[in-house]
Amino acid sequence: MTLWFVRGLRRGVVTTRYPARPDESAALLPSPPAFRPRALTEDTARRLVQACPGGALQLARNAALLFDVGRCTACGRCAAAAPDAVTRSGAWELAASTRSVLIKEIPLRGEAR
Amino acid sequence: MTRDPAAGGAMTPEELRAAIARQFGRSLHIRTLDTGSCAVCEQEIRLLAAPHYDLHRLGFFFTPAPRHADLLLVTGPMIRAFEVAARKTYDAMPGPKVVVATGACALGGVYPADPFTHGTVDAVLPVDVWIPGCPPSPLALLHGLGVAVGRLAEKVRDLPFTADDDPERERAAP
Repeated sequence: MTLWFVRGLRRGVVTTRYPARPDESAALLPSPPAFRPRALTEDTARRLVQACPGGALQLARNAALLFDVGRCTACGRCAAAAPDAVTRSGAWELAASTRSVLIKEIPLRGEAR
Repeated sequence: MTRDPAAGGAMTPEELRAAIARQFGRSLHIRTLDTGSCAVCEQEIRLLAAPHYDLHRLGFFFTPAPRHADLLLVTGPMIRAFEVAARKTYDAMPGPKVVVATGACALGGVYPADPFTHGTVDAVLPVDVWIPGCPPSPLALLHGLGVAVGRLAEKVRDLPFTADDDPERERAAP
């Protein structure tokens, strides 16, 4: 009957120390993608824009990829469309008090083959 | 207790931010508002009160009444049928108040603006803090709440979301 009490003592405190200390479990969270500019050609970028279901990726006029972190659902379809150009960012502290800082400009440095 | 001398007149954004940090520094009551979300954001918000996250230790509390709330935590893409209720909830809150848009729906990433939905929360309410994620994890929500009361620093401004390592080299050396 009192086993829950013993179990609780053995387990100790489960509450995270965040924000005073970092939380290791954050590394396991799904996170938005990060892009490799050197692997990004205009062709690849166009493919990524097509793959994104939420419209988080858009082509800018000055040969750059606009990534709206706020619209990203971390679905991974961009990584599936171009595994060489897309990797995991691991970022999760994404709250912003200005909407525009969530829109990132990714340069396209890849050479067209 | 001293009265804020600037409270009578117009406050600059910096003064307002300082006042919010002072007044909400230790106790802040949250009213959640679901404007048409799939309820996964709500699941994550509920988890904030679970032992692992325990947001009460930080002085955050949930309240069912907008009259008692300091912060409006809005989820969902703001369906048009809910617009009046959202405005009334916001108007019912006493000032100073903070609006936090939560999740990719609220930030415009899931539903486009159409005859049924506004697509984003900021089409209707003055949003102060945006929390991305689908859904944002409880840790991300804690960070967002900290940013909303000026206790935690924003980090996303300096994140480039680029990785400059060479995929060829990476594949060669596993």
